[in-house]
Amino acid sequence: MKFRFATDTGGTFTDLVVEEIGGVLKMYKAATTPTDPVRGVLDALTLAARDRDLSLEQLLAAGELFVHGTTHAINAIVTGRTARTAFLTTEGHPDVLTIREGGRSQPFNYAVAYPEPYIPKALTFEIRERVGVSGEIVVPLDESFVVTALAKLAAGKVESIAVCYLWSIVNPAHELRTGELIEQHLPGVAYTLSHQINPSIREYRRASAAAIDASLKPLMGRYLHDLTSRIEGAGFKGRVLVLTSQGGMLDAQQLSRQPIHVINSGPSMSPIAGSYFAQREQITEDLIVTDTGGTTYDVSLVRNGVIPWTPETWIGPKFVGHMTGFPSVDVRSIGAGGGSISWVDEGGMLHVGPMSAGADPGPVCYGKGGKHPTFTDACLTLGYLDPALFLGGTQMLHRDLAVAAIERDVATPLKQTVQQAAASIFSVITENMVQAINEITINQGINPADAVLIGGGGAAGFNSVWIARRLGCRTVVFPGLSAALSAAGALISDLATEYRRAFYTRSDQFAFEEVRAVVEELLERCAQFKAGPGEHARKHSVSLSVEARYESQVWELEVPMPCGGISDSTQLAAFLDEFHALHKRVYAVEDRQSVVEMIGWIARVTCTLREDPVLARLEPASAMAGYASTRRAYFPDTGLEAAALLQFDAMAESAAHDGPAIVESAFTTTVIPRGSTFVKTREGNLVVTV
Amino acid sequence: MSEKHQVDGARLAILSNRLEGIASKMGNTLLKTGRSGVINRAKDFSCCIVSSRCELIAAAESLPAHVLGAELITQSLLELHPVLRKGDAFLHNSPYHGNGHAADHTILVPVIDENGTHHFTVLAKAHLADIGNSIPTTYHAMAKDVYEEGALIFPAVQVQRDYEDIVDIIRMCEMRIRVPETWRGDYLATLGAARIGEREMLALAKEIGWEQLHRFTSDWLEYSASRMSQVISRLPAGNAEATSTHDAFPGTGENGVCIKSVVTIRPADGMIEVDLRDNPDSLPCGLNLTRATAWTAAMIGVFNSIDPTVPKNTGSCSRVKVHLREGCVAGIPVHPTSCSMATVNIADRVTNATQAAFSTLADGIGMAEVGAILPPAVGVVSGYDPRTRKSYVNQIILGASCGPGNPHTDGWQTLICSAAAGMPYHDSIEQDELYHPMRVYQRRYLPDTEGAGRNRGAFSIRVDFGPVGCEMEVGYASDGSANPPKGVRGGGTGGGASFWKIRVDGTTEALPPVMQAKLADGERIVSISCGGGGYGSPMERDLASVRRDVAAAMVSRERAASVYGVVCGADGTIDEKATAKLRSASRPG
Repeated sequence: MKFRFATDTGGTFTDLVVEEIGGVLKMYKAATTPTDPVRGVLDALTLAARDRDLSLEQLLAAGELFVHGTTHAINAIVTGRTARTAFLTTEGHPDVLTIREGGRSQPFNYAVAYPEPYIPKALTFEIRERVGVSGEIVVPLDESFVVTALAKLAAGKVESIAVCYLWSIVNPAHELRTGELIEQHLPGVAYTLSHQINPSIREYRRASAAAIDASLKPLMGRYLHDLTSRIEGAGFKGRVLVLTSQGGMLDAQQLSRQPIHVINSGPSMSPIAGSYFAQREQITEDLIVTDTGGTTYDVSLVRNGVIPWTPETWIGPKFVGHMTGFPSVDVRSIGAGGGSISWVDEGGMLHVGPMSAGADPGPVCYGKGGKHPTFTDACLTLGYLDPALFLGGTQMLHRDLAVAAIERDVATPLKQTVQQAAASIFSVITENMVQAINEITINQGINPADAVLIGGGGAAGFNSVWIARRLGCRTVVFPGLSAALSAAGALISDLATEYRRAFYTRSDQFAFEEVRAVVEELLERCAQFKAGPGEHARKHSVSLSVEARYESQVWELEVPMPCGGISDSTQLAAFLDEFHALHKRVYAVEDRQSVVEMIGWIARVTCTLREDPVLARLEPASAMAGYASTRRAYFPDTGLEAAALLQFDAMAESAAHDGPAIVESAFTTTVIPRGSTFVKTREGNLVVTV
Repeated sequence: MSEKHQVDGARLAILSNRLEGIASKMGNTLLKTGRSGVINRAKDFSCCIVSSRCELIAAAESLPAHVLGAELITQSLLELHPVLRKGDAFLHNSPYHGNGHAADHTILVPVIDENGTHHFTVLAKAHLADIGNSIPTTYHAMAKDVYEEGALIFPAVQVQRDYEDIVDIIRMCEMRIRVPETWRGDYLATLGAARIGEREMLALAKEIGWEQLHRFTSDWLEYSASRMSQVISRLPAGNAEATSTHDAFPGTGENGVCIKSVVTIRPADGMIEVDLRDNPDSLPCGLNLTRATAWTAAMIGVFNSIDPTVPKNTGSCSRVKVHLREGCVAGIPVHPTSCSMATVNIADRVTNATQAAFSTLADGIGMAEVGAILPPAVGVVSGYDPRTRKSYVNQIILGASCGPGNPHTDGWQTLICSAAAGMPYHDSIEQDELYHPMRVYQRRYLPDTEGAGRNRGAFSIRVDFGPVGCEMEVGYASDGSANPPKGVRGGGTGGGASFWKIRVDGTTEALPPVMQAKLADGERIVSISCGGGGYGSPMERDLASVRRDVAAAMVSRERAASVYGVVCGADGTIDEKATAKLRSASRPG
C-alpha cells in the first residue's frame, strides 16, 4: 500500500485527503490548532491511521507524498504577527513603500484612509549608493551606511531585513554586497534582496515583494521546518510539498527561502479543483467556484475553462492593501463561514461575520465555551444538522446551547421567534455571500445566471442552493470531495515554478545575442528544476513568454514565445505578428507601424507527478441502520417542513429526488428547498437543479 | 421595502454594474494601450456612456474632472451633426463647444442599430502629451488667447466613416503635433476604447433588447436623482460662501485671482445651488475655465462634501444648480479666450472654495483646501534623447501629495489635486529613467509640512531631478506658493509649493511660478509640492495618530507640543499628564 496525503489548514478545520495509490480516496477533518497548526495536521493524520487500524507511524511510512496548503503566512500578515523587519533603500528614496505607485479608488470617497507603509519609517534606512539605468555605478556603495544601519538594527531587535536599491535588476552588485554585510554583521538574521525575489522593473513592486518576503522568513522558516521535521519524526519518509499562490507546489525547503509564494496557499487550489470536478461532470458553462469554510468564503470565476489569474496580487484591497508584485490565482475572500458570529447592533440591525468563532472555542453548540451564536448554531437550530453526526460523529453538538444563545443575542433584540431569528442569520449570511459573487461576476459585466455554481467547503451545503437562487444560477454541483476542496485540488496539481529576467530590447534594434543568452539562462534554470525537484516527475513542460508592448506604452501584454527563443528575423517577425494579433484581440486596435518593446522574459516549468490524471473514487461509508427517513426542519421561505432525509453514501446513482430534503454525509449536510431537484451522479457528486 | 422595489433594485444593480463594467473595459483599453505618460500613468482620461438624449449614464472610475462633463460635449455633437451613421467617429476638443480644454481629445462614437436608430453615444476622452501648442506643453499658462496658445481646435470633426479613418484629418495632426507617433498611438488607443464601448453596448442590446436598456436608463437616472435628493435632505439648511485664492501668474495681476463660491443648501427641496457669478472677468492668459470645467469643479466640491455612495450621473447632478456667467474666469469663455489650463489651477480653486463653504455649515461635512498644482515634478519634460535619437514630450507624475484633512481621514498622500483626486499613478523612478534621459536624485515627504488638524493634511513631497547626458526642458505652472492650502474649522495651513534650480557647481537659482525651465546636463530642478490643509483643531487630534507621526519623524516633537499640544518623550512615548495640561491650557475659556 502506498499513499499520497494532501492537507489544507484553514482557519477552523484542517482537511486531509488520503489517496491510496491504485485504491480509493478518504477524507478526514480535524480542528485547526491556531497556536500550533502542525498539531492539527498530525491530528488529522492520526484519524486516518485509526480508520485503517494502523499506527500513525505505519500510515506515514507508507506515504510517498505529503502536500500541504496553509493560511499561516497570510494570517500572520493580517494579524500583524510577522517579523520585525527593516528596509534598506537607496539614499534619497526613503518613501518608496509610502508613495507606492499612487492610484486610488472611489474618487469622491474620502473616508478611506491612506495606507501605512508595510515597513514603518522608523525602521527604514537610507543607504548611500546609486546605480544608473544601464547598470553603471553612479554613487559607489558606502558600506559605512550599511554597517551603521545594521548596528542600529541589532540594538532594535530586528529579525529580518528587506533590501531594495534602484536598478538592482540591472546591476545587483550593491544588493549582493549588502547581503554579505548582513551575514557578516548580523549572522542568522533573515534577509531578502529585491532583485532575487522579484527581478522586475518598477521599484515599488520589487521593494514590496522584498518587504513582505523578508517579514515572513523567520516565521515561515520555523513553521515549514517544524512541519517537515515533525512529520518525518512521526515516520514519514516521502516528499513534503507546499502549495503556492500560483496554484502549483514546491518543496517545503525551497519555499521557506521565498515564503511570499505561500501567501495564497490553499485557496489558490479551489478553482483548480472546481474546474476538475466540472470537467468530470462534462459541464461546459462558466463556473463560480465557492469554498465555504469555518472562517472565510472564497470565490473565484472560471471562464471558458481558464483558471483566473491576477497580474498583480494585492493583500487587501487594490491601492490600499499591499502589492506582492507577483501574479497569482485570483481568489477573493470574505469573512463568512460556519463559524461566523452574529449579533444585533444598537440600531437594531443584524450582522453576521466577518468575525469567526474559529475552531476554539468554536460555535456555541460545540459546548467549548463559545458564547456568540454562529451560522452553524443557526443551522442546528433550524434542524438541518444532526447533533450526533457532526463531523462524522466526532464532534457532539448541543442544540440547547445554540438555541439559548440565538434567543438571547438575536431573537430577543429582533423580537422574533428563535426559528425566525435563526432564519434571519441564514438570510443575512446568504446575502453577504451573494454580494461577494457579484463582485467577481456582475461587476465584471458577467451574468452569474449563466454560470454553474460549485459548492465547495464543509459548510457549503447549508445555503448554496439559496445563493444560486438569488444569483439566478440553474445548477449547483456539490463535489463528493467538497468538504476538502483545496486538499483535493492539491492531489491533482503539479510541481511548478517560474523564472523571470528583466531585459530591455526593441523590435527595430533586436538584440539577438543578448536575448539568446537570456533565454538560455532561463532554460538552464528550468532544466535544473526538472533535474532537481522535478527529477521523478512523469511529465515535464516548459513554456516561454515575453512581456511586450508598443513603444512608449507602459503596460505589457504577455505573449507566448517559441521554446527555442527568437533567434532570427523570421522568428522575430512571427513573434511580432502574434503580439499585434493579441493586442488587437484584447484592445480592438493594433499598430503595425510601431516599434515593439520587450522588457520581461519569463519561463514557466511544470512537472506532473501523477501518473493517472483522474483522482481515485471516494470510498463510500457503509449505510447506517435505523436512519430516519424524514426530519422536521425550518425553511426561511416556507417555514416548518418535513424534509426527506438521505444518506449520500447510500443514495442510488442517477435517481432524481425532490426537495425539501437534507442529504447527509460524514462532513457535509446539504439542504435542498422545495422546488429544487437533485441527483447523485456516477462521478459521485451531488447535482442540484435549482 | 415592497416586493416590486426589490425586483427593480436587483435589475438596477445588475444593469448599472454592467454598464459601468463596459465603461471600465473602455478605460482599461485606454490605460493599457495609451502611449503618453499622461494616459498610461497619469490616467488622465475618461470613458462614458451617454444616452441619445445626452444624459450621462455610466462612467469608468476616473478623474473627477473628466467624468461629469459628458453631457455638454454630446449635446454639441448632435447640434453640429444632426445625422449620425453607424461607423462614424468624431474628434472633439473645442473648449467653446462643451469640451474641457483643448488638450483633451475626445472620440465620440454613436451606438446605432441595424435600422439606423441612434441609441447611445460612447465617448473616450484623453489628455494628450502634445496638441500642437506654440510651446511644448499642453498647459500654456501665458497664452493671451487661443491663437497664441496654438492648439489645433476640432469642434466635433468627423475622423471615421464606415469604421475607416478620414486620413486628411490624421495627416493634419501628424504635421502639426509634436512626436506624431505618440499622438497616433494615443489616437488609436482612444478610438479603440470607444469602439470597444460600441461593440459591448451592441452586444448588451442584443442580449436584453434596446427597450429594456432604455427603461433601465430612465429608472437609473430617476433612482440617482432621488438618492441625491435624500442625501441633501439630511444636510443643514443654509447659505455660506468661501474664497480660495490663486497665486499671481502672468496675466492675473499681482494679487492673483480670488475665487468665490456661494453655496445654498435647501434640504426641503432636495436641492443645492452653487453660484460662481461673482468672480472676475476672463483673463488674458491660459487660466480661464470653460463651461464644462467651471460646472464640473463646482460639482466636485459638492460631491466631495456629501455621502460618496450617490451615483454620479445626470440624475444626481440634476439636484444641483450651478450658476455661471459668460465672460467670467470661472464661467463661460467667449472665443478666442484661452482656456489652456481649464481643468486645473482655477478649477481647483473653485472646488476648494465650494467645499470650504460646505465646511462652515456643520462639523462633519466639507473638506479643507487641497494643495494646488502644477509643480515641476508633475510638469511636462521635453528634449532630445541621445539614446534613441528621438525627441520626446511627456508629462511626468513624480510627486504631488496635496490631500486635504477631511471629516473622516488625514490627507491622501498622492492626491495631486482636486481634479485628479489621487486617481493617477505616481511614476516609478525606474520607468521615468528608462523612458527619458533623466535621473531622479531624491523623492521624499518633508516633515512638519502638513496642515495640522484633528485630521491633518498631507505632507509636501520634494523631488529633485534633471537630465543626464543632454539638456532638458521642464514646463510647469505652479500655484500654491503665495497661497498654500488653508485649513477649515480650526485646522492649520499646509506647506506651500516651491521650486529652484541647482546648478552643476551646487549653487542655486530661484525660479518663477510659470516657466519652461531649461536644464543643462547635470543640472537639477527641485520641486516641492503643496501639502494639504487640516480639518478641525489639532488640539483635538487623537494621541495615537500624533504618536505615529512623531515615530515616523514626519512631525517633530517640538511641533507635536506646540501645535498639537502633545508631549512626546525622546523614545516616542506620550507624557499623558503633560499633554492633558498643555491641551487644557490651549482651550479657550
